[in-house]
Amino acid sequence: MAGIEIAKVVKAYGSVPVIHGIDLSVRDGEFVVLVGPSGCGKSTLLRMIAGLESVTGGTIRIGDRVVNDLPPRDRDIAMVFQDYALYPHRTVAENVGFGLRMRGADAMTIEKKVKEAAEILQITHLLDRKPGQLSGGQRQRVAMGRAIVRDPKVFLFDEPLSNLDAQLRAEMRVEIKKLHQRFGTTIIYVTHDQVEAMTLADRIAILKAGHVEQFATPDEVYRRPRSTFVARFIGSPSMNIVPARIAPDATTITLDGDAAVPAPASFARARGRDVLLGLRAEHLGLAGPDGVPARTVIVEPLGSDTLALMQIGRVEMTGRFPPAAPLRAGGDVTLRLDLEQAHLFDPETGLAIV
Amino acid sequence: MSDAIRHRLTPLEKSERRLGFAMLAPAFLLLAAVVLYPIAELIRNSFHFNHLAQPWMGTPFVGFENYVKALGDDRFHEAVLHTVLYILVTVPGAVVIGLGLALLANQPFRVKWPVRLGLLLPWALPLVFAGLIFRWFFEYNQGIANAMLRGLGLEPLNWLTSPGLAFFAICLAIIWKSSSFVALVLLAGLQTIPKSFYEAAEVDGATKWQQFREITLPMLRPAIFVALIFRTITAIQTFDIPYAMTNGGPGNSTETLAMYIHKTTVDFLDLGYGSALAVLMFIVSAVITSLYLRHTRRDPGRH
Repeated sequence: MAGIEIAKVVKAYGSVPVIHGIDLSVRDGEFVVLVGPSGCGKSTLLRMIAGLESVTGGTIRIGDRVVNDLPPRDRDIAMVFQDYALYPHRTVAENVGFGLRMRGADAMTIEKKVKEAAEILQITHLLDRKPGQLSGGQRQRVAMGRAIVRDPKVFLFDEPLSNLDAQLRAEMRVEIKKLHQRFGTTIIYVTHDQVEAMTLADRIAILKAGHVEQFATPDEVYRRPRSTFVARFIGSPSMNIVPARIAPDATTITLDGDAAVPAPASFARARGRDVLLGLRAEHLGLAGPDGVPARTVIVEPLGSDTLALMQIGRVEMTGRFPPAAPLRAGGDVTLRLDLEQAHLFDPETGLAIV
Repeated sequence: MSDAIRHRLTPLEKSERRLGFAMLAPAFLLLAAVVLYPIAELIRNSFHFNHLAQPWMGTPFVGFENYVKALGDDRFHEAVLHTVLYILVTVPGAVVIGLGLALLANQPFRVKWPVRLGLLLPWALPLVFAGLIFRWFFEYNQGIANAMLRGLGLEPLNWLTSPGLAFFAICLAIIWKSSSFVALVLLAGLQTIPKSFYEAAEVDGATKWQQFREITLPMLRPAIFVALIFRTITAIQTFDIPYAMTNGGPGNSTETLAMYIHKTTVDFLDLGYGSALAVLMFIVSAVITSLYLRHTRRDPGRH
């Protein structure tokens, strides 16, 4: 087991930089998820940790060793690939035991360890089959078996669930979390799915265009996003972010020219400024006659609750309401905006105003 | 229920079927004219005496006489032996060299076209050209082979006029010419192997050689098999390169079956006997082709 220290890491292809100096410190046994939109450099960073991409600048340390120039096989890592990378001409048992065999383990040890791993992943009955005869979820398990059988210091996952349907994905998410609880091995996990990031991670690193936008616990990134990018990326539905202006005496906030709403005391930190107001859907509610007037644009019943797109003056916001809420498209309502929970961002930089 | 539906053709299906046959007819007629008719004529000829230098003999039916003659014909036996030797040397030779070329061409070169062109050129070259080029290479006075030997201070060799060396030189030319085709087939096979297979092996601790043995070779097996079969079928018919380089000489030492058939019919004008030899060659080709067809009918991706 080992922690990972990533210091000022830079990656460039020729003269095109794709990662601009990333610092991440992963503790021993921690489950860290790298998340971001495609092209943000999350997979490249993972592949640099694995040794599949060279490091242009900075250092990567696994445990107490700088691994920059170490080939993958000497880094004591195991990686699960997006396409599982299972060899079609070999049985499940041979695939799982491949790494052990390549490292010269004897047949007895291989068989014993493959069996153990298969039991943990409940694939014992599949050991004699070829990957072509397995379902997507089974292949996923075999790929994980191939990783855990070597008992490495670090597990690397590269979008391992993206080829599965929604239900299997939820199932495998639980499996991966169980595995982590069982082995306590350091995991770095790449995904573009913020739900996976939120549910799996001890800490999430949100990447944007080759740098880390925020690196914190799921709770922290959800409740205190450092920028509008993080605020929009984490959480479903996305956080409502609308232009607004706080009065010079900070008693009211005006949404895009129209409706002036009483502002909480904490907004004094941005008195007299143009801001971006961020408000999550759950912080909108139906109010009595003294609420903010709004018109319902679209209603999306989800069963457990109902999402509705509301038009407030010139801006639109999505709210999360109880399933029984009396909403219909085109109807007029009054809303309570829980501004104590709101976020303020600088319209120029997109950074949170704290 | 569904079977009943499948067997009873609706009027629409019947007319579709007629249209299908009508569309196939031109291709079928053309094929019949240039393939089926000559083969039928060849088989007919092989059972007749037909010697253009002896027109007064007519073309009487002689049964299996031509085939019996072949069994006792030493030159035929030698030609078969030479052909088999060419197959045994040049087919594995071309596959090994072709595999090397394919692996080379599959490397991530920054500029890909010179490599691809280098691969394609020998393949695009007519066989006789290749034969002529290598004849010049191995020519005694001005050839590059002897020039190199002289440069090393060695005696020049009679490449094309001593039997063993001529066989060697011809094999070299055939391998050079045919390995590019093999390389193209194998390159296509290589490109179907996902990159992650190698990356996973790399992380798992496999060396480059282990990756080649454990991933490349087994994944390439179907492509190698296809290349072997195609090469073997063309090697049975080896003609142009030895024809251009030695014309079967010295003596008959480099003469192949196809060359002997050509000489029998075109030079000696013995159509009956030549046809019988051609039928024998055709049977061998057909057997190998059918083996290939049987293999491909099974899913080549699963072993």
